[in-house]
Amino acid sequence: MSGAGNREAVFPTRQSLGLMKLKLKGAQTGHDLLKRKSEALTKRFREITRRIDEAKRKMGRVMQIAAFSLAEVTYAVGGDIGYQVQESAKSARFRVRTKQENVSGVFLPAFESFTTEGNNDFGLTGLGKGGQQVQKCRETYARAVETLVELASLQTAFVILDEVIKVVNRRVNAIEHVIIPRTENTIKYINSELDELDREEFFRLKKVQNKKQRDTAAQDAEIIAKRKAGEQKENDRENETSGGGDILGDDEDADVIF
Amino acid sequence: MAAPSSAYKDRQFLAVIGDEDSVTGLLLAGIGHVTAPPDNQKNFLVVDSKTDNAAIEEAFERFTTERKDIGILLINQHIAERIRHRVDSYTAAFPALLEIPSKDHPYDPEKDSVLRRVRRLFGE
Amino acid sequence: MEGLLYNVNNGYIEGIVRGYRNGLLTGNNYNNLTQCETIDDLKLQLGPAYGDFLASLPPNPSTSTLAAKTTEKLISEFRYLRANAVGSLAKFIDYLTYGYMIDNVALLITGTLHERDTRELLERCHPLGWFETMPVLCVATNIEELYNSVLIETPLAPYFKGSLSHQDLDELNIEIIRNTLYKNYLEDFHNFVNTDSDIAGTPTAEVMTEMLEFEADRRAINITLNSFGTDLTKEKRKKLYPSFGRLYPEGSYMLSRADDIEGVRLAVEGVNDYKNYFDQTGLGQGNGAGAGNMSGGAGGDSKSLEDIFLQREMEISKGAFTRQFTYSIVYAWVKLREQETRNITWIAECIAQNQKERINNYISVF
Repeated sequence: MSGAGNREAVFPTRQSLGLMKLKLKGAQTGHDLLKRKSEALTKRFREITRRIDEAKRKMGRVMQIAAFSLAEVTYAVGGDIGYQVQESAKSARFRVRTKQENVSGVFLPAFESFTTEGNNDFGLTGLGKGGQQVQKCRETYARAVETLVELASLQTAFVILDEVIKVVNRRVNAIEHVIIPRTENTIKYINSELDELDREEFFRLKKVQNKKQRDTAAQDAEIIAKRKAGEQKENDRENETSGGGDILGDDEDADVIF
Repeated sequence: MAAPSSAYKDRQFLAVIGDEDSVTGLLLAGIGHVTAPPDNQKNFLVVDSKTDNAAIEEAFERFTTERKDIGILLINQHIAERIRHRVDSYTAAFPALLEIPSKDHPYDPEKDSVLRRVRRLFGE
Repeated sequence: MEGLLYNVNNGYIEGIVRGYRNGLLTGNNYNNLTQCETIDDLKLQLGPAYGDFLASLPPNPSTSTLAAKTTEKLISEFRYLRANAVGSLAKFIDYLTYGYMIDNVALLITGTLHERDTRELLERCHPLGWFETMPVLCVATNIEELYNSVLIETPLAPYFKGSLSHQDLDELNIEIIRNTLYKNYLEDFHNFVNTDSDIAGTPTAEVMTEMLEFEADRRAINITLNSFGTDLTKEKRKKLYPSFGRLYPEGSYMLSRADDIEGVRLAVEGVNDYKNYFDQTGLGQGNGAGAGNMSGGAGGDSKSLEDIFLQREMEISKGAFTRQFTYSIVYAWVKLREQETRNITWIAECIAQNQKERINNYISVF
């Protein structure tokens, strides 16, 4: 802790102390909440990464089966249909739409595949020969693409969650390591300043009190002395019947101190 | 944080960069789309040994940044290898980039950019 | 009678083809092939049969390059035959190539329709369907020009004329065009073997009629089956059926009215062979599996209809070699060789993709 340097520039007053205390409390609550959010997201994240791993492996298998079904087509048609297929592609039959899923306040888009009705670019491919294989291959590939779409959803979620978790963690860390210590520092500083003031005041009061005590003691002593002197005079008067003492004489009054 | 919905609500196509067999198969599944004339943009690219990397990169660029209607980009892993630097530095969520195996090149999880990120995150 | 003079012109070719036929892979060879662990092993096993053609392949070639190389051998042998053929045999061999030409022209039409550079397409064309003037077709930039050049430059003109106009090329699905052409081609070929003065009445006519009829029926059945669920209307479908074959005319008529697999089964009932095939596949027996049963490979006990047709085609082709003094062995040999290429590709594919359980789905007749 960099000590006094790392604090907010506030006047060490009781009011700002109150403010700081509120702020600290807020920061702690926020920290807890964010921490929890981050944990929830991380849990989700781990789940997704696990599923991605699985899905990628599954994809490997599915694509292999699909590639094999294409081999069957080549076998049945007895030629290459690649070019024809590429040229007759016009409008996508297989499309995706995106929907959202809310995970702890983060919107994760997920792809959903759907096929549009009534457009069939390759319906007649392999009409004379191998048509059934072509159809079968289309189905196989459609299934494979569905798997791919699923995987793409996971992956998008992964990318977004990764980003979000980073941001949240950054916030958590910022609160934990910067804001809270700084507020605490400020509070400490204000407290210490206030204490200092308190002590000064106390000392001053003490001093005043001391002086007052001293003065009072002096006064008391004088009064006593006076009283004693008076008694003596009386005694003298009585004894020697001498005249009253010169009031304006030696017997000076004590200074009046306020 | 999540991307605004406008960023992906129009994305309804899949795009593919792959070898002839992969593209043929995926087109058979019905993902092929050619936009209306006059520009006639296709959403697939067939790569063979004669295609140079610049063309692949250009297609990659077109599918990932220029076109706003592509939700998922599929690319054969061995082709991704050829433009690996581009694939690895691609981090946007949309379009989702997916490396797929091809007939002659079985899938290798070690090379996948996303899986590598997973590994890195878990410190493996 | 034909035996007397046949060898004067065609004896050499026949000898060569019979030699080629003996070079075809046998069941034993296939057995060895299926035991291979890698494509390299496979290449090694194919060594005796394919020798030089595979030598230039890199280690562990892809299945498609392997297929291309095996086809190359067929091409070079075929070209040799064509170069040595004379008279009606030369014409017969030309007829064989027309089928591939149709595919090539269809490819060029597709390319032109989409305004691609058709020159790139030339290398995708099947070499058997190559004709000298083919590059000329690539000059065409629109479909009308292409149509005209096809009419002028290719032997396919009669197939276009009368059934397709240049507007049709624009509007019709390429598959319909292809099948229309193929229908015309089959009819023409059928007509040729039955009317040509050198061929009519010879064993060639006999065997070829059987083969072409089978091909015609197979196409009719396949087209019908494959058109279910598409926007091909019944009238248009009917136009794609060749007007000969064992199903023609009653079966074809019934096929044209079929709405489902059951309808197809009824249509082929008249021909015992085809009925048996249907029963074997378990199609049309009211089971819900329907066309889904086309397992492509004999995944289970029941083979797909196409597999059975292929098997049958191979048997007919094998049978053709039992006849003498006939051109049809060339046709049969090409078919057998094509199937062999397919088998090799299939086995290579199974090995490359680790799908060994399906590897025995090749068709071997020797």
